[in-house]
Amino acid sequence: MPGQELLVKEIMDRGLCSSCGMCVGLCPYIKTAGDRVRAIYPCGIEEGACYGVCPKTSLDISEMDMFVHGREREDHALGIYSGIYYARATARADGAQYGGITTALIGLALREGLISSAILTGGDIMNPRPVLAATPGEVNSCAGSKYTGVPTLLELNRAAGRGLTGIGLVGRPCQVAAVRKLQRGKLPPERTYSDRLVGLMLGLFCFWSLSSELYGFLARETKGEEIIKMDIPLEGPGVLTKTGSRRWRVDEIRPFINKSCNYCFDSTSEWADLSVGSTEQDPGWNTLLVRSGQGRDLVELAADRGVLEIKDYPAGRLPVLRKAALNKKMRVLALAEKEPGNGGCPAIPDKYLREMNVQWGGINR
Amino acid sequence: MSIAGVCLEKPGTKVALTGNEAIARGALEAGVAYAASYPGSPTAEVLGTLSRLAGNFKLYAEWSVNEKVAMEGAAAASFAGLRSLVVMKADGLNVALDFAGALAISGCRGGMVIVLGDDPNAHSSVREEDSRNLCKAIHLPVLEPSSVQEALEMTREAFSLSEDLKLPVVVRCVTRVCHASGDVELGELNRPLPVPDFTRDNRVITFGIQLHALQEQKLARAAEWACHSGFNSYTGPENPERLVIACGPCYMHALEALDMLAATGVGVLKLGVTWPLPHQLLLKYLRNASEVVFAEEVEPFVEDNVTSLAAMQIPRGIKFYGKRSGHVAGPAGPGIGELDPDILASSLAGIFGVKYETPGVSGRAEALELLGEKMPDRELAFCAGCPHRASFWAVRAALELDGRGGIVLGDIGCYTLGMARTGYNLLQTVHCMGAGIGLAGGMANLSRFGFDRPIVTLVGDSTFYHAAIPALINARYHNSSFLCVVLDNETTAMTGHQPHPGRSVTAMGEPARTVRMEELLQGVGLPYVVQDPYDVEATIDVVCNMLGQEGPRVLILRRTCVLAAVRGKQKARVYVDQEKCIGDSCGCGRFCSRVFACPANVWDAAGGKARIDEAVCNGCGVCASLCPQGAIVVERAVL
Ligand SMILES: Cc1cc2nc3c(=O)[nH]c(=O)nc-3n(C[C@H](O)[C@H](O)[C@H](O)COP(=O)(O)OP(=O)(O)OC[C@H]3O[C@@H](n4cnc5c(N)ncnc54)[C@H](O)[C@@H]3O)c2cc1C
Ligand code: SF4
Ligand code: SF4
Ligand code: SF4
Repeated sequence: MPGQELLVKEIMDRGLCSSCGMCVGLCPYIKTAGDRVRAIYPCGIEEGACYGVCPKTSLDISEMDMFVHGREREDHALGIYSGIYYARATARADGAQYGGITTALIGLALREGLISSAILTGGDIMNPRPVLAATPGEVNSCAGSKYTGVPTLLELNRAAGRGLTGIGLVGRPCQVAAVRKLQRGKLPPERTYSDRLVGLMLGLFCFWSLSSELYGFLARETKGEEIIKMDIPLEGPGVLTKTGSRRWRVDEIRPFINKSCNYCFDSTSEWADLSVGSTEQDPGWNTLLVRSGQGRDLVELAADRGVLEIKDYPAGRLPVLRKAALNKKMRVLALAEKEPGNGGCPAIPDKYLREMNVQWGGINR
Repeated sequence: MSIAGVCLEKPGTKVALTGNEAIARGALEAGVAYAASYPGSPTAEVLGTLSRLAGNFKLYAEWSVNEKVAMEGAAAASFAGLRSLVVMKADGLNVALDFAGALAISGCRGGMVIVLGDDPNAHSSVREEDSRNLCKAIHLPVLEPSSVQEALEMTREAFSLSEDLKLPVVVRCVTRVCHASGDVELGELNRPLPVPDFTRDNRVITFGIQLHALQEQKLARAAEWACHSGFNSYTGPENPERLVIACGPCYMHALEALDMLAATGVGVLKLGVTWPLPHQLLLKYLRNASEVVFAEEVEPFVEDNVTSLAAMQIPRGIKFYGKRSGHVAGPAGPGIGELDPDILASSLAGIFGVKYETPGVSGRAEALELLGEKMPDRELAFCAGCPHRASFWAVRAALELDGRGGIVLGDIGCYTLGMARTGYNLLQTVHCMGAGIGLAGGMANLSRFGFDRPIVTLVGDSTFYHAAIPALINARYHNSSFLCVVLDNETTAMTGHQPHPGRSVTAMGEPARTVRMEELLQGVGLPYVVQDPYDVEATIDVVCNMLGQEGPRVLILRRTCVLAAVRGKQKARVYVDQEKCIGDSCGCGRFCSRVFACPANVWDAAGGKARIDEAVCNGCGVCASLCPQGAIVVERAVL
């Protein structure tokens, strides 16, 4: 297993880092400023944890499926899941993005002692920051999506250093993958983590995140007005400010899409316990994918306690969602073919590739 | 060696003094009333000594904001009829040159002496500038002491000469003499001081070519005086065929070299007055000579002037050996670095065609071998606990994080060391005081051609007052976009902690009206932030933030020089918890000793763990804040 030198060469220097934050603070050499993650000095160590945990370095999808879910996937669009629903929180936190189930579920898990604290992304659209939330109030204050890549996982390294366990976290798909790589543990022998470090992982749907150039764009466009909320629905990205709202065409923010996201194979956090996204229809609800047993237990508890309201996922929507996810994977494969040997894209076993092509063909027909 | 010696009343007694103290004593014997300087090695202790004695004598002493202002102040005292002294290193003359050149034309009234500290070999300078060529260019007489005793006498006599000529006189003193110590014979103190005055009738003006003619006359008189001055002397046969012309410490080296060669019949002419040349005296010894060797340090100054004199005055050919011929040369080549008896002996042996085994070469090797075990193998580095180390680490980290390939322009001070490993090789330009800011402004103005790298310039606090302000005004005026980081350790640390305008005390220990950096910046209209560099993580954040801003802006990294901060205090005890240290493993990679590299962070290869060299550690605790394992423990923190 290589180390920092290759991480810098293959990922950082090529602009393929998604700022997940997993390598930040593993040592004194990798640091962050805003959403940038950089190695500030060569550590001189040949085999390093940073390379091992980075979601953008070598990652075998079937191996990961086996490690997380204990079996290979059948669905190559959404990965392994046991149920898909529409859901919303009965008491939606202020500023929650859609149905607010992410905030509600983390809050519930914290109150029930299922997790000791939660690693979330707080701050605001223009100035997001990693947060280790220890109270439901702190969890609520992190509601709402920030669309830039925030290196939230640096909080996990800090928490591990303090010996915390049972941590819950909410992350983008790359962040979920990074934590799974950490748990899988193909790391230098001196890097050992408690099995109980992470107690619950909620993954978000994410087709791309944006670079910090977004801030300059928003500041110019809104003339420095405070932004209350941002969303990227089908009609195009928009913000809500105190005095009104603004909307742009997707093409206007496309230049800010992080390069790493173009190589990302996972748009629904396939290795999370639960995955949450929009419905693309009703902003008051979320799409919820239940992936692990632990995830199912939490959702059932939430339903029992009346924290969540859950309904069936409309049958007609599934092909739309699957097509969107597969579409993205096909774009990545095409890109990876154009630039063979480029880091940042996972390894896909032949069996998976064949099945994926079949499923993709099916969708198009 | 002793301030008591410098002010001892008993004429005729011998006391041990350093060259710098001898200069101070010489000035006191001459009745100096006004002394000013900007600190610089090798002459920093001259004003340091005088300022401490200001109370004992009727004497005003100041650390001026820069050399030009120092020289102007001293000139004013001279215009008013007092004797005055101004002291600076060779580089300082460049700063003061505009005024010095004008002053040489207008002339002065009370005796005025300019002490120039030249630093052959650049022991504590960025270059080994030979100030004599500039002195010649502006028409000032130059005296060069070759010993501590002469440093005293020449300084004293320079005042009389200056008063006679109505022209400032330079005493050029090199590091070897400034820092040497020797027994000197004291002269009389307590010369009566005149009452200063400068009335409406006094005029000291630089104007017109008539004054140039007068200047030449003054120099001709000085040359005449030089021919009879005891500072030039000759030893050897009456009409030597072989002649060595030496000045400064090379005079002693030459005598020793001839001794080593057992060469007889070689005359040695010592020049104490190297400008203007004592023509008649020189011609007397050149007349019969067939081979002449020059022994002087750095530029072939005496050599060039004597050879041109000979070309005009002596019809037959003389063989001249020196830097121009390549015969007199140290290991780095002719005109480069210092000379010593050994170098001169080999040079002379080559010229005279005699055998000479340099004991130096083998002797040096042996000596080094003997010393080897005892000498710690240390490269030049910031002191343990130096706030600059924290500042440099933070700036470097921030630049890497910023990721836009920002550049760093340096300046002159302790932090010049930051071009080396101890400053993470950060500095990319080093020139003269204040140059970093001017360069930064120029680079920033290239944005219109598409130059878009972030620009950082690092400058010390003393340099800030000395030379930064005009460049900052220029930057503000033209909105040149760069980040100026002031490394404010609240003292002039490099030359021995002299106070500067940012402090609340003067050279003489009187309370000062502090010129606050912040107020200056407000006045210039520049935004600034003040941050403690010991808080490294916060500093990285601030630098990152400020890198992202536009326009000229200033970050003051303020933390007292650790040597000043710990003086007289019991230092904190710092040690490494051997259980917690993970040393070479992933997660650290010997961060403290290998990377951050405070001299007190040492690596115990046998144990595979870090240690603190407690004798060296100054207890700043910065390494403890950076250790990824929290393995470094600070007990009884005081800073
Ligand atoms: C960069 C990004 C891109 C997304 N793209 C899509 C998409 O294309 N399609 C889609 O259906 N959904 C997408 N989502 C998910 C969606 O925006 C909502 O976050 C999700 O539906 C949960 O909604 P909620 O109402 O439960 O959120 P809330 O209850 O408001 O909870 C939001 C949670 O998201 C976390 N969070 C906020 N910003 C970030 C961030 N930058 N990185 C990691 N965690 C963050 C917060 O910690 C909080 O816990 C994206 C989210 C992000 C952050
Ligand atoms: S993707 Fe994550 S782990 Fe990889 S380099 Fe970026 S921040 Fe580090
Ligand atoms: S505390 Fe650490 S950084 Fe400070 S002087 Fe001691 S060893 Fe050096
Ligand atoms: S930085 Fe800390 S863990 Fe690393 S070698 Fe030094 S004391 Fe040990």
